[in-house]
Amino acid sequence: MTKKHHTGNYKYLVLVPMLILLASVIFLSYGYIQTGEWFERSIELKGGGLITINSLSEIDAGEVTSALSDIYGSVSVRELRSLSGYSMTVQISSEVNPDDVIQTLGGMGINTEDSSVETIGPSLGEAFWFQAQVGIIVAFILMGIIVFGIFRTFVPSIAVMLAAVSDIIVTLALMQVFGLELSLASFAALLMLIGYSIDTDILLTTRILKTTGGLSEKVMSAFKTGITMTGTTLGVLIAILMTTSSSVLFGIASVLVLGLVIDIINTWLQNATILRWYAERKGL
Amino acid sequence: MLKYWRVWLLVVMVFASIMAIGFKTYPYGRDAVEIVYFSDESPAKGVLEQGMLITHIDSQKVMNTDTWNVLTSDLGQRNVTLRVNGKNYEFEVNHTLGIDVMDIDRTNLNFGLDLRGGTRIILKPKENATKETIDQVISTLETRANIYGLREMNFFPVRGADGDYYVQIEVAGIKRDIVEDLLSAQGNFEAKISKPVEISGGSGTLTLGSSTFPVSLGANETIIIDGTAYSQGDNFTMGGIDFEYLNSTDTRVFLMGKVYDGDDVELVYTDPQRSGVMPVQGGYRFFFGVLVSTDGAKRFADITSGVPSYLDLTGGDRYLESEIFLFLDDQLVSSLRISSDLGGRVVQEPQVTGSRIEQEDAIQEKLRLQAILRSGAMPTSLETVSVGVISPALGEEFFSSTLYAAIFAGIAVVSIVFIRYRSLKVAIPMIFVGLSEVVIILGISAADDAMIWMLALLINFMIVSISWWKKFEIDIYAWAGAILIPLLGMATWTIDLPAIGGIIAAIGTGVDHQIIIADETLSKRKGEKKDYTVKEKIKRAFFIIFGAAATTIAAMFPLMSIGIGFVRGFAITTIVGVLVGILVTRPAYARIIEAMKKE
Repeated sequence: MTKKHHTGNYKYLVLVPMLILLASVIFLSYGYIQTGEWFERSIELKGGGLITINSLSEIDAGEVTSALSDIYGSVSVRELRSLSGYSMTVQISSEVNPDDVIQTLGGMGINTEDSSVETIGPSLGEAFWFQAQVGIIVAFILMGIIVFGIFRTFVPSIAVMLAAVSDIIVTLALMQVFGLELSLASFAALLMLIGYSIDTDILLTTRILKTTGGLSEKVMSAFKTGITMTGTTLGVLIAILMTTSSSVLFGIASVLVLGLVIDIINTWLQNATILRWYAERKGL
Repeated sequence: MLKYWRVWLLVVMVFASIMAIGFKTYPYGRDAVEIVYFSDESPAKGVLEQGMLITHIDSQKVMNTDTWNVLTSDLGQRNVTLRVNGKNYEFEVNHTLGIDVMDIDRTNLNFGLDLRGGTRIILKPKENATKETIDQVISTLETRANIYGLREMNFFPVRGADGDYYVQIEVAGIKRDIVEDLLSAQGNFEAKISKPVEISGGSGTLTLGSSTFPVSLGANETIIIDGTAYSQGDNFTMGGIDFEYLNSTDTRVFLMGKVYDGDDVELVYTDPQRSGVMPVQGGYRFFFGVLVSTDGAKRFADITSGVPSYLDLTGGDRYLESEIFLFLDDQLVSSLRISSDLGGRVVQEPQVTGSRIEQEDAIQEKLRLQAILRSGAMPTSLETVSVGVISPALGEEFFSSTLYAAIFAGIAVVSIVFIRYRSLKVAIPMIFVGLSEVVIILGISAADDAMIWMLALLINFMIVSISWWKKFEIDIYAWAGAILIPLLGMATWTIDLPAIGGIIAAIGTGVDHQIIIADETLSKRKGEKKDYTVKEKIKRAFFIIFGAAATTIAAMFPLMSIGIGFVRGFAITTIVGVLVGILVTRPAYARIIEAMKKE
């Protein structure tokens, strides 16, 4: 891709992230039309119960799903394996008593001694969901103010904001694809994504607008730095994904991994192209 | 050496953090378990208390909850000796000791419930509640928890972003059924009044309103009332009132009469006209009214009739020699003096008053008494909106997986940075700086560390001042870092799973920013028209870093209040991590790189 920066047709690169964003919006909207929800929310954001069972031996998630859904209707079972053991989460609706489910699981020969239960009432879940929506709007407003404060020019600021918004929307769509629900923890990770996204964007923008030299070289040098940054962060996060048996940490790390991969595309295909075009027009 | 003052600041703060996290010492050794609960069949109930530390069982060491569980799994029927808080206790055991324990804290870190294990319940009043109602609820719960012996249960009011009040209950190491019992429990309330009977020449008269009964002293500390003999501790009914015979001297017989039970207290007033706290000379006075049944009011008049009064010299008021004792579930929870003008009178709306030096104490005592008089019943109906029963994650498994994660992450970072710069001298300091960030974040979060951070502040101040005096370049950020971080150090917050996620996120940005510094400083870019000095390059790196840090902090702010603090740990840890990074660790790394560049 970097070769293309040297040709005059680099502008078309912006189509790749734009198409990905468009596909994500269509995907999320389709889900909304089908189910009335933009994306799957965890029990924290809609109410319900979550049972977590830690185990040293493997648990057959498929078997558990079919056994439980016969009795309790729709349940969602997920298995998490790591270097330090296995864990299984069972999500149930707020009408189901989690103690009954644990008893059923015990009856299937699963050791339920090391288990955690969390229930959130529907009204509290809805309240959290409302707060989360307000929270993300507030986060974007604050971010906008700071980004404009840093660059004080319109096009670069908008490009940076656009990349951050696009990161979050595409990540939400990918979370749906991979079956990751939006929980309070993954919501925190999404907000953190803004910070990571801005890192490389500011790097790129500063290099292009505030240093001298050839445009292609500047983009290239920023790309090298940026990809090293994203690479190390991904390395740290993948280490977490491999080792943790905590669903909270797994949720945070997996959302950040998805988001950072998307951010590579949004920064180096979309933002770089917009800024290059902007710099050329300004004769920088 | 002072040229490296930024690095020295980092060293000081890492050292302070290690001290702050510390290793908690206990008077009876660090291998122990803490008592959290006694079941009803426990022979230790009433002998030992919650929070005590068990170190030995039958002279075998109790290292942690695992060994405790093994050693107590089947005890059979025999005598078991426990060494608790350095003393030996022997209990007659029928298969189980009925004691729940948890591991003691070995550091000053406040681990969250998701790491320690325990129960968290969130309650919401069914009607829209005021702060006053929430305080009543919490006081009621605290009263109950005290009666249960659950002294380490935490209750706090939380206000959601939607403006509604919630009550959050957190208790480490306790199972849900115990907490739910506590929530549904209504205490059995009784109020009793002591009744002295004057004796002269071996006999006297018990006056109950208009009725009188002859009292005389018998042999072996018995007394004879109205022709019947009673021994100490005997209960009897006289004039429609339940009495207990407490003890006697040659001049007095002490009885205790039951004046009210839960049904007699018809209403405990909480409205501002009949309940409040006001400043008086030398402190604060609380008061509230109570509506009692006509039967209760009559019993009160009967028992207090004929009781002599005395002058309290400190307040100048007269009180009856009788006192009123409040019991919940047969446990004495409070006692009140009775104003002399109430003696023998039928009072249906007595006022309860008292004073405390501090306003907060007066408010708390008022809430507590109101809770007791309501029999520990809630002032409003509550709905359980969230229950979390968390099995402790903080086992060896958690530590081993954290260790693996750290090792893998370290290898990943070093390899990628090495591939990029072909220099271990750039990569290795990055790992140390990253690690020091983790240590400082944890050190800041630790509890009981104000002294250590004060000392760090002092040393930092000296380092920066001397460097400035010696004319080394000092900027505003240096001052900010040297002063702000130790001040932050005095803060305490809970390290839970989201906070650990925050540490990971902060380390991620930390490494990113170090790469920006290394890159700006070390790489020679093709086509650059002008040669920048190292100082200029670092300055440019910091422009990027500050911008990114400011945005991250801004993005984290809304998280503080979402989900009534569920992910606050993530936000606080990230914000603190970013501040530590831009003010302490990244400047230190820049200085190291700068020095390497000059070599």
